[in-house]
Amino acid sequence: MKNLFKKELNSYLNNPLGYIIIVLFGIFANLFFVKDIFIINSASLQPFFSLLPWFLLIFIPAVAMRSFAEEKRNNTLEILLTLPYSETQIVLSKFLSILTVLFLALLLTFSLPISLLFLTKIYIPEVIVGYLGALFLGASFASLSIFFSTKTKNQVVAFLSSLLCLFFLLVLGSDFLASFLPKIFQDFFSYFSPSYHFQNFMKGVLDIRSVFYFFSLTILFLFLTVLELEKRD
Amino acid sequence: MIIFSSVSKVFGQKKAVDSISFKTKEGEIIGFLGPNGAGKTTTMRLILGYLKPTTGKVSVGDFDPIDNRIEVLKQVGYLPENNPLYLEMKVDEYLNFIACAKNEKNWQNLVESVGLNEVLNKKIEELSRGFKQRVGLTAALFGNPKYLILDEPTSGLDPIEQEKIRDLIKKLAKKKTIIFSTHILSEVEDVANRLIIIYQGKIIYDGKKPKEKGGVEKLFKLKIKAYEKSL
Repeated sequence: MKNLFKKELNSYLNNPLGYIIIVLFGIFANLFFVKDIFIINSASLQPFFSLLPWFLLIFIPAVAMRSFAEEKRNNTLEILLTLPYSETQIVLSKFLSILTVLFLALLLTFSLPISLLFLTKIYIPEVIVGYLGALFLGASFASLSIFFSTKTKNQVVAFLSSLLCLFFLLVLGSDFLASFLPKIFQDFFSYFSPSYHFQNFMKGVLDIRSVFYFFSLTILFLFLTVLELEKRD
Repeated sequence: MIIFSSVSKVFGQKKAVDSISFKTKEGEIIGFLGPNGAGKTTTMRLILGYLKPTTGKVSVGDFDPIDNRIEVLKQVGYLPENNPLYLEMKVDEYLNFIACAKNEKNWQNLVESVGLNEVLNKKIEELSRGFKQRVGLTAALFGNPKYLILDEPTSGLDPIEQEKIRDLIKKLAKKKTIIFSTHILSEVEDVANRLIIIYQGKIIYDGKKPKEKGGVEKLFKLKIKAYEKSL
């Protein structure tokens, strides 16, 4: 498993594209936050965290699109599946390598809370919970994007299909959609949206229901990916 | 021992493999001969548990490749058709990855005997076809597998490289069961000690290889003609 994880992580870190995606994420996340903070005039990371799902909506599918689609296109999936590794080990190693890339990208945004610390007082547990939420959100996005990557040989198709699906899930919890729906449906749909659950983390609240939601979503798509690999016919 | 008992594999409407049965013995080099689309690759993938049989049973050693895929894969070395490799990796990086997966500790010795030392630091994409094939074959040998499954191991190589790969297979034959697929008749004549002819998913011949020169070709044509007549 360690061997597989190392190989997967190296496939990102030995590739200039991997660095470009990580650095672009860092630049845009910092830029958008700095742009807004002086307008809002509030020393809080909430503006950053409220934008984060939309950054991850592009970042995670861009990182995950190659995970299986590229293996299928190059026929190297046959190498992986004829080595003494289980399908679960293969899927988990890919998933963990994407999470590591996400962690590296989030590291680039640590400049935001650090610079705020110099300017004013910030409530550190709130920041920690926010970043924890970002990891949970990223993990669920990654598992969904990996699943879509098993469905095609084409990386662009994998990227667009996971992006569309994640966009739909995010919009489910938006005020825009809610305005069209009766109250009972608003609550029902928004509960299935990652943005609804991420709001708890943004506020610094570690709600066990939201943890359970992200955990379930992640496990569900990892499980579906394993099933998809087991099909093979 | 690899045992196929009335194994069929159907893809949609097409029967890729149609109720085939055979048993292998230790030390055999089995030439799996057939035209393109005859069912050679499907049969090999069934041995590895990469595909599930539609009907029938496959066993490798004491294991079922579907129920005990990992146990089977520990005993089998596999060179897939067209030899897919991680082209962006360096040769030593790739071999190290496969060696770790197959728990092979002394892979450097094997690399030396196959003549890969000079290209260890090169990226796989920079290698010639012959060297790429050697990389694939070396990876298949890691973990000292009991069974070697080689799917068209010389396809796309020039005659000199083909000869080298054949010599390597013969050298490896000791105490291993080797199944190699090919559509090159002379290759079977040169390397195999048992011949299985597969045609339209059915085994139409399973037995000793003819000893006389050109005998494989004669037998191959004869068996296909007889099969087509019987339809």
